[in-house]
Formats: sequence, structure tokens, C-alpha cells
Amino acid sequence: MAAQTLVVTSGKGGVGKTTTVANLGTALAKKGYKVVLIDADIGLRNLDVVMGLENRIVYNLVDIVEGKCRIEQAMIRDRKLKTLHIIPAAQTRDKDAVSPEQMKALCEQLAAENDYVIIDSPAGIERGFKNAMAGAQKALVVTTPEVSAIRDADRVIGLLEAHLLKDIHLIINRLNVKMVKKGDMMSTADIVSLLSIPLIGVVPESSEVVVSTNRGVPLVHERGSRVGQAFEKIAARLNGENIPLDDEEENGFLSRFKRIFGG
Amino acid sequence: MLKTIQNFFRQRSSADTAKQRLGVVLMHDRLDISPQLMEAIKNDIIDVLSRYMEIDRGTIKVDFEKGKDYTALISNVHIKRVYRNAAAM
Repeated sequence: MAAQTLVVTSGKGGVGKTTTVANLGTALAKKGYKVVLIDADIGLRNLDVVMGLENRIVYNLVDIVEGKCRIEQAMIRDRKLKTLHIIPAAQTRDKDAVSPEQMKALCEQLAAENDYVIIDSPAGIERGFKNAMAGAQKALVVTTPEVSAIRDADRVIGLLEAHLLKDIHLIINRLNVKMVKKGDMMSTADIVSLLSIPLIGVVPESSEVVVSTNRGVPLVHERGSRVGQAFEKIAARLNGENIPLDDEEENGFLSRFKRIFGG
Repeated sequence: MLKTIQNFFRQRSSADTAKQRLGVVLMHDRLDISPQLMEAIKNDIIDVLSRYMEIDRGTIKVDFEKGKDYTALISNVHIKRVYRNAAAM
């Protein structure tokens, strides 16, 4: 089976790309799939700390590309899941240390031996982002429900489409259901209608994320974590499982009303 | 309860404001039309219309409007007088 190669990206920084990559990768590996996560945010590596693997790094993405090590030498195995590996970003190099062609070649090689290759892209529309998307067949655009994040997400979607990457799905992160109900936060439907790309999942806002990042253990490992469950659903949808989009807002008054009256 | 009533009568929720503002911003971002180009379009419209009617140049407004699945160019012009034999020209 050929692997799915995905890039996780956003226009604005700090919307939860790395958290998304860590949790989706962990969720897919928990299902038994062979997963490699690539931190393509060269110069600002973070996936290693979110995964709790920072103290195992010897080689990185740039070392592979420059031929200083073999791919397997730079792949760090997850602490809990033996089918999950990450390739860390270089921390001291500039963003142009890897070319789109090199990235594409690496993704192809990894796709031959894995089920999922997930690339953590830098935010924004600079060259680093273009390198990160070069090897991907599918893109997941992460946004929060804020005007600045949504506007920047729209720019990124435009760029992805311009580079003929048309399989694009939206993840809405940090949705605050209470605020949506009060009319103080845009709803999932609002955001989807503005960006007009298909939604693949909604992740609720939660303080759990800070704790998980502090510990370096993704939330899909925590039983009963709503954030973890949201990411597990997204992973299942990526995997082609038919999980209906019953996003967080569906627990609201209106939908209960609709359910009762069959609306 | 009081809060619900207050919310009900509040002019507009911030989510609605955000949605409306973003709609305009995204439309302009996607069209990527500079103010200079807008000005050129406006002047061309004035030129074309002036062949057939006398218009109030100061009142012309050109703007975009976003519908459900379209973007429209809306132009509002005050007409002072239509030239009688414009069609024959």
C-alpha cells in the first residue's frame, strides 16, 4: 500500500500545527500503522519536545539531506509506540537548507516503507512552507476561530491550490463552545462557509493541551481527553473510516431541538 | 434571564461582526485588486456611460459584493440625463 503523505500547515503561527501532527501521528500509530512525522520547521524545531523525544536527537532533517547520515539514523522511535518515528528539524540552520526537490525525494522514500508520512510545516507563506508542502499529496490546514488566523488560512489555501495541491481539508482548533453559544466566537459553520474547503474535524479549546505539552505526552494517550478524542476522530477520517462530523457545537440547545423535531 | 434578554437586544454579536468583516477582507484578498486598478475600472465605466448619458461623476461608486456562490461588481451612478439619440450614434 502506498502511504498517505500529508502536510499540516497554517497561515498564522501558534494555532496548533505541531500539537495536531503529534496527536494525529500518535493516533494512527496506535491503530498499528507505520507513521513517520517530519518536522519541516527548520530553525525552530518543536515536534521533538511536544512528543517528549528531545533528549534523543543526534541527527536531523538537514543531516539526511546533506548526506551526513542515513534516513534510519535520523529517525527517532517514539517512547510508547514502536511504529511511530519522528525526523527532527535542524535548529541552527536557515529555512532554505532543504530544497523542495530534496523534500520530495525524502517523502517518496519514506512513503515506500510507511503508511503515513506527516509533515509539520512552518507557518506562513515563506519558502519554508513551500519546501514543506513539496512532497505532500494532501494538506490539512489548521486554524483557530479568530479573524487573523482565518484570514491567513485563506492565503495558505490559495497558495496550496496555486501549487496544484488540491486535496485540502480544514481542522478548526481551539473552538470554545460556550463562546460560540453566546455569539462571541464564530461557529464551525461560519468558518467553513468563509474558507469553503471541506472540514475534517473540530478540536475543542482545553487547558489539557498545556499539560500534555509540558509532559511531552500527546493527548490521544490520555483516556477521556476530549481533545484526544477529537484528534482520534480526525485520524480515523484520514484513514477512510466513516465518522460523522458531530462537532462540539452539536451538543448545543439548537441541535438538541433539531434532533427532537427531526430538523 | 436578564442576561439572555440583554444578549437578545444587544445590537450584534461579536461573532457576526467577525464573520461580516472577514467576508469583506477575504473577498478583497482573493481578488487581489489594487486601489489603482479599482480607480482604472471606475474611470472606464465613467467613459463608457458618458457616451450614452450625462452622469454625475462625483457620485460613482464601484464595489464588490459577495453572494452565496458568486462575487459581483456593483456600480452605482447618478444619471442626470440620457442622450436622446444615443442608440442611433
